[in-house]
Amino acid sequence: MAETKKRKGGVSRRQFMKAAGTAAAATSIGANIIIPGRSGAASKKLRILQWVHFVPPYDVWFNKKFAVEWGKKNDTEVTVDNIGVAGINARAAAEVSAQRGHDLFLFNWPPPTFEEQTVDLKDVYAELEGKVGKPIDLGVKSTYNPKTKKYFAFSPSFTPDPVNYRQDLFGKVGMPNGPKTWDDVRKAGARLKKEFNNPIGIGLANEIDTGMAMRTIMYAFGAHEQDANGNLTLNSKNTLETLKFVKALYQEAMTAEVFTWDAASNNRAMIAGKISLALNAISITRTAEKDNPQISKLIQLTKALQGPTRAIGLEHVMQCYVVWKFAQNIDGAKKFLVDYTTSFRDAFVAGEFYDFPCFPKTVPDLTKLISNDPKAHPPDKYKVLDDVLNWATNVGYPGYSTAAIDELFGTWVLNVMFAKTASGKSTPEDALKEADTAAKRIFAKWKQKGLI
Amino acid sequence: MATPERGASSQAPAKSLGGLLDRPEWLGPLMIGPAVLFIVLVVGIPFLLALYYSVSDISMGDRTMRFVGLKNFIAVAGTSNFQTSIVNTFVFAIVSQILVIVFGTALALALLREFRGKWFIRFLLLLPWVAPISLGTIGWLWIFDSTYSVLNWALEALGLITPQGWYMWLGIPYLAMGSVIAVHVWRILPLATVILLAGLSSIPQDIHDAALVDGAGYWRHLTQITVPLIRPIMLVAGLFGLVFAFTDMIVIFVLTRGGPYDTTQVLSTLAFFTGIQGGDIAEGAAIALFLFPMLLAVAIGFLRVARRAEVV
Repeated sequence: MAETKKRKGGVSRRQFMKAAGTAAAATSIGANIIIPGRSGAASKKLRILQWVHFVPPYDVWFNKKFAVEWGKKNDTEVTVDNIGVAGINARAAAEVSAQRGHDLFLFNWPPPTFEEQTVDLKDVYAELEGKVGKPIDLGVKSTYNPKTKKYFAFSPSFTPDPVNYRQDLFGKVGMPNGPKTWDDVRKAGARLKKEFNNPIGIGLANEIDTGMAMRTIMYAFGAHEQDANGNLTLNSKNTLETLKFVKALYQEAMTAEVFTWDAASNNRAMIAGKISLALNAISITRTAEKDNPQISKLIQLTKALQGPTRAIGLEHVMQCYVVWKFAQNIDGAKKFLVDYTTSFRDAFVAGEFYDFPCFPKTVPDLTKLISNDPKAHPPDKYKVLDDVLNWATNVGYPGYSTAAIDELFGTWVLNVMFAKTASGKSTPEDALKEADTAAKRIFAKWKQKGLI
Repeated sequence: MATPERGASSQAPAKSLGGLLDRPEWLGPLMIGPAVLFIVLVVGIPFLLALYYSVSDISMGDRTMRFVGLKNFIAVAGTSNFQTSIVNTFVFAIVSQILVIVFGTALALALLREFRGKWFIRFLLLLPWVAPISLGTIGWLWIFDSTYSVLNWALEALGLITPQGWYMWLGIPYLAMGSVIAVHVWRILPLATVILLAGLSSIPQDIHDAALVDGAGYWRHLTQITVPLIRPIMLVAGLFGLVFAFTDMIVIFVLTRGGPYDTTQVLSTLAFFTGIQGGDIAEGAAIALFLFPMLLAVAIGFLRVARRAEVV
């Protein structure tokens, strides 16, 4: 009988199912068998999720030094998971949906839409204020909701967004120290494009850098998405003027490549020597120092450019930690934030000055550090950022980074408004009207949800 | 001798798992069960969840869902970027599917013939399908890159364009739409070709021989014999491709993110930007599901036509 059920030289159906079942069971528990649990090493656990830092040595310092040493001091097993920037929101949504995940979650922009899922971090701010003084306005406006009076996130640092320009080229058009005003950029840009085939490179695409750059110009022209109280003010004469300026800037000093860009395109174009100016973090110069030292010497930085109303720049990246309400180790997460911020000087150095402190006193010798960087050409290249805490501002200025501001940013409403105007697809008036309609709907929606 | 034994065995009460596995009426459902479970878990439940999200006011941070009826659908339908996205979606899906069917049929006909190195051509053809799509699309991103475009470099090397005349493949609306369609066709073509190849292989050789004897020329043979006979499978390939083109977002997300100025924005990318980046999951779900009734109708229509053609 047994012979009839068994294929020649093969296995019976029953044997196959048994083998498959055993294999499946072994696979599911395999990891636990092969890798012994480490739970005995520490009495507590802290799980941190961070995006992969733009400066790789920072991750090495954070993951292998700071987190490990903090864990030892606090009898905690610290796990750090790093993911790509593009996956942050989707990952956060997944954790919220599952109501489980990491104790500390780092966004690289303010996450006000997650407010109802996060712990109020006012005690972290209060403790740090006692230890290292007050945070800068930018940090508070990116993490606090004045409507609900809650700190939905905590920001230890931000990344400045200075003007990167080619000193050699600007020198040829009479601006060896770079442009000082937006009008300078337009005038010099027109000549640089025409005479040297080296246009200005400010993005007009559906990506983060464009969102930042367009807001920088808007704020310098006195145009804003909202006022200090969070009321929508996009539809204004100043916004119209900004649109007309960007259209002229594009037509006179840029090319259609700016419509194609992603967040790294301006880095690539600048380092390849194809453009003469970009708004970006110091990732351009840091990458150039490693990959193309010759061009690195030609790229210099300058402060926020003067517009008709003011000289102002945006943060390029806002480091915003949240502690989920469903986190397993809320107290540990808060303590980690306090300790990390208190020793932020080490992070500042490890990140090669990419991240600047939101609590200025944590890096008391900031000016001295950035004034003499052996990797920079010249060594005081980054000294221009010594007063960045005074001119960097948040998305949503002069108000707070609210949920409405976040959706307006994340759905590229202003990027499209500027790109349509610059390309000539829409008149400035029509593009503004369309964006204002979208903004009104977004503001009304979040107001109804009680978050603004 | 074996048959009565098996019959007797199946009538006897199953006392063990092994006994159950030997009975076809149990083994069949057991074998298909994981597949059904998989579909229910990864397709069915998320789909039902998305349906519910679309008629609720759920947001990224607020998980308490209140029923709001069709409010989200009405709200998004009135926005200009949604209307642009609808038009773009149809252009993207229909043009890419026409190209896929035309090129797929041509390739399948070519691969039906015997020639040296056929296996290698088949291998190359399947590469876009088996390679991770995000990886492949990133490769295309470099091909279309404004600074390092291999395509522009080649055109310049051939003397067809000047250094100042580089095409901004992803920066001019019609070039950008053409580029995303081209990449989508590149991606879907292998699947369509394999499906069509299977269809062509199933046509009995004597039908071709009879047509040859009757003096049918190439085009007559193709349009009056080959295409009608593979029409059911062609419709299935078209249906797969169409649904894929209407719902997939990877190619556009990686290459243009809807740009330049929303001229390649499609419903799937708009849903992502609204729901995940913008935080409004309810509206994102509404945008994603907007075309579901139409796609369902198209799928039913296609399958009916395919079935009728099969019967004929």
